Amino acid sequence: MFRHTMLFLGYELRLTLRNPVWPLFGILQPVLYLLLFAPLVANTTVGGTMGDTLRLFTPGVLMMIALFGSLFVGFGMINEIRNGYLERLAVSPAWRPAIVLGRTMRDMLVLVLQALLVIGLAWLMGMRASAPGVLVMLVLMAATGLLASGLSYGLALALRDENGMSQIMQFFALPLILLTGIMLPMSLAPQWMQTVAHFNPLYHAVEAGRSLFDGDFTDGSIPLAFGLTLALGALTLTWSVSSMNKLAG
Amino acid sequence: MIIEAHGLRKTFTAKRGRGKTEQVEAVKGVDLEVEAGQIFAVLGPNGAGKTTTIRMLATLIPPTSGTAIVAGHDVTRDPGKVRENIGYVGQAGGVDENSPGREGIILAARIGGMSRKQAETRSEELLTAFSLTEFADRPIKTLSGGQKRRFALAIGLVNRPPLFFLDEPTTGLDPQNRANLWDEVRALRKQGTSVLLTTHYLEEADALCDRLVIIDHGLVVAEGTPDDLKKEIAGDVVTLRLGESANEPAQALLSAEPYVRDVRTEDETLRVYVDDGEHNLPHLLRALEAGGLGIQSISLDRATLDDVFLRHTGRSLRDAD
Ligand SMILES: Nc1ncnc2c1ncn2[C@@H]1O[C@H](COP(=O)(O)OP(=O)(O)OP(=O)(O)O)[C@@H](O)[C@H]1O
Ligand SMILES: [Mg+2]
Repeated sequence: MFRHTMLFLGYELRLTLRNPVWPLFGILQPVLYLLLFAPLVANTTVGGTMGDTLRLFTPGVLMMIALFGSLFVGFGMINEIRNGYLERLAVSPAWRPAIVLGRTMRDMLVLVLQALLVIGLAWLMGMRASAPGVLVMLVLMAATGLLASGLSYGLALALRDENGMSQIMQFFALPLILLTGIMLPMSLAPQWMQTVAHFNPLYHAVEAGRSLFDGDFTDGSIPLAFGLTLALGALTLTWSVSSMNKLAG
Repeated sequence: MIIEAHGLRKTFTAKRGRGKTEQVEAVKGVDLEVEAGQIFAVLGPNGAGKTTTIRMLATLIPPTSGTAIVAGHDVTRDPGKVRENIGYVGQAGGVDENSPGREGIILAARIGGMSRKQAETRSEELLTAFSLTEFADRPIKTLSGGQKRRFALAIGLVNRPPLFFLDEPTTGLDPQNRANLWDEVRALRKQGTSVLLTTHYLEEADALCDRLVIIDHGLVVAEGTPDDLKKEIAGDVVTLRLGESANEPAQALLSAEPYVRDVRTEDETLRVYVDDGEHNLPHLLRALEAGGLGIQSISLDRATLDDVFLRHTGRSLRDAD
């Protein structure tokens, strides 16, 4: 079982390495935010120095990659259902959960690498953050990847339709992003928005990221973010694995 | 018996939109017995239930009712064991479009339990056997339909399964590639592999298989070797064109002749099934002349599986849907 998961992971990683353009392209938009939006915020009354602004801003940008990158991984799978690839894997001796697990692990690895690139860039622009905090943040990124790609594969296997899937994602992605305080801290938002934001797991992840980058490991948002992300991640992963198990029921 | 299926049924619940559902009886009770080492064909028109049948046998979907023992194991109780003993190439092919074919073959080999080294050796063997070496390192999506199909076959055969399922393996292939594929399937039989394939090409079933079933609307309508099935309906068929008004009297007249087995009208023509056509054609001509019926055109052919299909379903497979 573990062997099969590793085999699929290796296969998918080789595929990604053969075409590393896409994951690189995937961080382009967040990087633009970093380059264009951070200086803008730094100039307003909210921000302090460029370094402070970046420390506030980068965790949000990281969550944006996690969300936008991993939520879309399921699109490829719809095609794999249609051209019979998954069907063939399903009647091969492969352990079925490995088909999803291998991919999810690939997605998590890619996400961590993307995050490292973005953090490196922020560092070059003058951000200074707590190194252990950054490490823990990478783990949180991986957990968010688990949540998002589990959700994406689950949706792909349930809907099997690109149109339906992009509608649903459009519907969720924007409010999720706005209510995380990626652009600006939610403390600037009116009370009702802050209340709503508390129901958004990404909000807590960004808050946790900010505390971690500040080197503050005591903040309550950290266990909350980990707890929420891992619990939801386990849920979406279970969903996608069980959909895979009854692929052609 | 490598496959023994009894009373296989599959009813799908299909969505009709607005929350309504519809019951589709795709397969309505199919019995199949395939002997080890045979090429066995399931012949039928579009929507007959071929894919659904093969999917149940390959453990992809559970039957609504009925039993099937495939390669010695029950498909519902022991699907894992069945999967270890079969290769399956679906109607859509089922190769990963993004990776090169070599990677796909190696992955399939390793999933089947081979070491990295064994897998590489095996992939070389298959690439050579299917003349794919030169395309082995290009992403599959850059290959032609025929090349993709050959990769699909290679991947299906990687673990040397004793039983190989092929769903419409030659659809979309040119005559050259179709003939090659037939040769490859025959080569499999020579190595002792049993093959179950589906097709809607009469010629294919005729040329390739040892035994076949004809299915229509989810039911088996005929079963046997191609020769037996054709003999059942007489060996030869005379196709006559007499003009619209003469069809009925001619049918009555010819049915009375002792060497005529059956007469059927199809569009404007009459198909007359006769034993030993070469000898009896002159008799038939004389009978028509004596009845005062003029002939516009006439031809004598060997009966085909289409005639078998026509006999059992009242339709021709060529225009059935
Ligand atoms: N998943 C499904 N849900 C609902 N109906 C289905 C499903 N799969 C097949 N059917 C229906 O079952 C019937 C048999 O389909 P099947 O795919 O087995 O036919 P086939 O003989 O393989 O045809 P073809 O030659 O076109 O491939 C068809 O009427 C089809 O519409
Ligand atoms: Mg079919």
